[in-house]
This record gives sequence, C-alpha cells and structure tokens, in this order.
Amino acid sequence: MHGIDWVDVGLSGLKIAVVLGAMLNVTPIMVWVERRGSALIQDRPGPNRVGPFGLFQSFADALKFILKEDMLPAKANKVLYTIAPMFGLIPALTTIAVVPWGRPFLLPGGRLFEPIIANVNIGILLIFALASMGVYGIVMAGWASANKYSLFGGIRASAQMISYELSLTLAAVSALMVAGSLSLPDVVWRQTGSFVLFNVVKLPAWNIFSPAMWIAFVVFFVSAFAETNRLPFDFAEAEAELVAGYHTEYSSMKFALFFMSEYMAMATMSALITTLFLGGWDIPWYNEPPNALGFALSVLAFTVKVSALLFIFVWVRWTIPRLKYDLLMKLGWKVFLPLAVINIVIVALFIAKRWI
Amino acid sequence: MIPTHWFLILSAILFTIGVCGVLTRKNGITIFMCIELMVNAVNLTFVAYARQFHQVHGLLFVFFVMAIAAAEAAVGLAIFISLFHHRHTIDVDEANLMRW
Amino acid sequence: MISFAIFFFFAAIAVIFAAMVVLHRNPVVGALSLVASFFALAVMYVLLEAPFLAALQVIVYAGAIMVLFLFVIMLLNLQHQEEPRTRPVQQFLGYTTSAAFGLALIYYLAKFGVTKLPEGAFISDARTVGIKMFEAYIFPFEMVSILLLAAIVGALLLSGRTGVAKDEETS
Repeated sequence: MHGIDWVDVGLSGLKIAVVLGAMLNVTPIMVWVERRGSALIQDRPGPNRVGPFGLFQSFADALKFILKEDMLPAKANKVLYTIAPMFGLIPALTTIAVVPWGRPFLLPGGRLFEPIIANVNIGILLIFALASMGVYGIVMAGWASANKYSLFGGIRASAQMISYELSLTLAAVSALMVAGSLSLPDVVWRQTGSFVLFNVVKLPAWNIFSPAMWIAFVVFFVSAFAETNRLPFDFAEAEAELVAGYHTEYSSMKFALFFMSEYMAMATMSALITTLFLGGWDIPWYNEPPNALGFALSVLAFTVKVSALLFIFVWVRWTIPRLKYDLLMKLGWKVFLPLAVINIVIVALFIAKRWI
Repeated sequence: MIPTHWFLILSAILFTIGVCGVLTRKNGITIFMCIELMVNAVNLTFVAYARQFHQVHGLLFVFFVMAIAAAEAAVGLAIFISLFHHRHTIDVDEANLMRW
Repeated sequence: MISFAIFFFFAAIAVIFAAMVVLHRNPVVGALSLVASFFALAVMYVLLEAPFLAALQVIVYAGAIMVLFLFVIMLLNLQHQEEPRTRPVQQFLGYTTSAAFGLALIYYLAKFGVTKLPEGAFISDARTVGIKMFEAYIFPFEMVSILLLAAIVGALLLSGRTGVAKDEETS
C-alpha cells in the first residue's frame, strides 16, 4: 500500500462532517416546524414563549431530555433495553451516506469533488439493507420494556414496516430501471436535462413528469410514510391507543434517541424521494456549470426540495386520520404491492418502446 | 489479497458450530437457527469459489439458496408454531409419536 | 494490509456470535447473535468482491428471515419456557463428533489451499448477475417463484388461518 492520498481523506472527512451536521440539526429544526406547523393547521398559536416565534423551543426540549431521570423498568432486559434506541438511530444516520446532495464539480487542482460520502455501485441496496435493520430497534424496544402494550405496539409497528418495505423497494425499482443503474448519482444524472412535451412545453427530465412513474411515485410516497412511522401509519406511537406504543417505558436520552431517529429517517426518506423522482440536485431549466457556483446552487435546490417534502410530512400528519390496523395491512399487501408490480411492467413497456 | 482457503476455513468453522448446535440443543427454534448457520457457511464457500474462479455462477447459486432458505424458514416456523400449540413444549424430544 | 485486519476482526465476530447461538439458553439472545453473525458474513462477502450479495444477505437474511424468527420467539413467549438440560452423554458425543468432523475439514482445506487468483477484477455487480440469471438460469428462477408461492400457501395452511371457517381449536 503506497502513500495515502491525504487530500482525499480530508475531503471525505469534510463531507462526513457536513452531512452529519445537517442530519443532527434536522431534529431541532423539524421539532420547531412540526409544532408551529401543526399549530398553524389547527388554528392555534403554538410555542411562542421561548424566544421569538418560539425558535428556542428545541433548546428547551434538548435541555429537558438531558436533565430528566434516566430510568430502567424493573423487569426489563437491561442489555436489549439499552441498545434498542441505537438500532433505531444507526439506519437513520448511515443511509444518507449514499445520497448525492450536490453537483460534482472541479476543484482548482483539477480534482473532481463528488458530494456523496460513499459512491458504491450498489447505492440504493445499502439503503434498503440498513432500513431493514431499523425494524430490530422497534421489536427490541417493545419486547425489552416488559410491558404488554409496548410489545403490542412494537409487533404491530414492525409488521407494518416489513410489509411496506416491499412496496417501497418495488416502487423504487421503476426509477432504477430508467436509469439502468443501482447507484443514486446515475439516477440523478439521468434526470438532468429536459424533454419537450407535444413540441410546446419544455419540462425538466425529472422522473415525476413521466406518466410511467406516477403510480410508483404515489406508492413510494405513501410507503415512505409507513416506513418512518408517521401518521397516517403511526401505530408505533398511536397516541390515545397504546399510550406511546413501543417507547412508552423510555425516558430522557433514550427517548430522545428514538425521537431523533424518527426525524432523521423522515429526512432520509425525503432525500430519497427527491433523488429518485424529483431530480435530486437538478435545478429545472438550468444547466449547472461544473464549478463552485453550480455546486452551491445545486445544494440549494436539493435543500429546497427536501424541505418542501418535510413540510408535506408535517402537513399530512394533521390532515389525514389514522387508519385501522387491519385496513393498513390490507392496503399494504393487497393494493400497494400489486400496484408497484404493475408499475414495473408499465415502465418496462415504456423503456422497450423508447417513450421514456 | 486474502487467500481463498482462509474463507473456506472460516466457513468450515461456522459449519462445525452449526452441526454442534443441531446435535446438542433441544430447543426447536435453536436447532432451526443452527441449520440457518450451516446454510450460511455453505453460502460463504460458494462466494469464495466464485471469486476464486471469477465466475458469477457461484453468486447465482447463493441467490437461489437465499430464496429457498427464506421459504424453508417460513414453512419450518409454521410447523413449529403448530407443534407448539398442540404440545405446549419446545422440547423436540417430546415430538415422538411416530417413534417405535 | 487493512483488509486482513478487517477479515480477522469480522471473522472473529462471526465465530463468537455463532458460538453464542449454540451456547446461550435464551433463544432471543441466540436470534440476535445470529443477526450479528450474518452481518459479519455480509462483510466477508464484501471482502470477496461481491457487494451485491452482501446487500442481499443483509436484506434477506438479517432483515427478513431473522425478523420472522424473532416474531415467532416473542409471540410464543419462548424465553420463559425452560429448555430441559441435554443429557451429558448426548452433549459429549455431539461436541466430540462435530469437533472431529470440523478438524478434519479444516485440515484438508488448509492442506489444499490455492493462492493464485486470476487477473483482473471480479465483475459481480447487479447487471452481470442479472443478465446471467435471465439467460442461463431463467428456469430455476421461475421454479423458485413457484416454490415461494407453495411456501406461502403452506405456511398459511399450517398456521390455520386460511379464511375458511374453522372450529375453535385451530384458531
């Protein structure tokens, strides 16, 4: 092994620091957005005491989590009770490593800077692999709490997650088929540029504008809600039914870890939706130059898209009521799975006829 | 480059541990888990040889083995559940109605 | 150099957690140790230049099959069942025969080890595997899908929930 390329190591460290910082900061920002946004929808003020517009509410929450007593139920399995929140957090933090968040551009020394932490050629499979690890956090949390209701919440939530993982995966396959590759930068590059519709209007070549992908987009979007346990699929928490579901017996930092991992999973899912269907870092109708300006604009575009989707997550939470559990499972297996498979056939038809 | 026979030796060790578990334990689910361990050890052998000869057939075989192991796990666990409902014990030595 | 360190570390993890599956009383701990062992095996697959299979190993084995095992263990509440002690004679015979078998296997594998690999990289990405599957192995592919259908029907039938009205004892 010859000399290590220290510039490469330094750039990777910088990328990791930036992405980690962004992910860790998503939680406080989303807490504020969620509380003010839900207050807006429900026609009430929301938190407005701690700082202007309640902006420091997240700091107050963080302080509360740190200072609360960290307890352990008497009959709980100590080891599993302690490591369960970590299983929730690890997928949320690591799956963002394969999502491209900006345009690759040329640094002054001629080196290409690719704003993606790990450009492996099996990109999206890594996301699915690590997302299936998230199920273990819920199952272990529900079981290790030695509480019947936590166990019910944990089993229901994990059954829901593994059912909707199928439709999530199959709906993502349609975007991958069009790009011809499993790696997400290839999927985004395929969506740059534009196509002309009926010789009249010039649309960006995003996947969502092509009719073959509409079903896949709907299926993926709804399955993302089910994967992150957000309303209308939040049986894991199910306030007013199971107290707090699988994290009833958790307090202070362990609960904060579950809380954080939910918002980070939301952010990762939004990043994945924008990458697969909304063109990732692509700015519509504009050819970004391969320099620092193009990179900055593309990062801005990516952030705007992800933020819009995160707001939609909050919006849907307070708009649609929770489904009954058996209806939810029927929907996942009998409606979304066949729709996702039908969509694969449709996309294959479009590709064969070169309409896409 | 890691020599292939190291992977084969690791696979042999895992297989032996699986055999040990099947012969020694009496809990049905644990025996089943040891069988899965043995199947995975064999998968590792397939992938090691696939890399040795640069042939993709080894990987395809592992693909099929995984699919079949999934089917086997589903049916085996269903059998175990119905056995548990009838016998109310997890000891596989109790399932001995057909012994002479 | 660093790949050797990774190999030894994850091989140790795989062996230690596999031993915990066999030795520990509690089946839940056994199932979770098996998950850790499968993860270590996925790293082995990456070292063998097959990242596609590593991802599949985590998705299928560690992410689906072991979740099924954990569901069954937790729903049947099996960790409170006392597993009877194995008779010492059976334990002794089991350990010695498997150890003898294992030692013989390792001896012969180490004796006939091959160290020369072909030149070039091993092309093992999804495209190559997919093309080979749909060209040469299309028949086994279709057979496996029918087998999975048979497994689903079988599992439904065995658990007694086919939707047909049944008497109470098979609920």
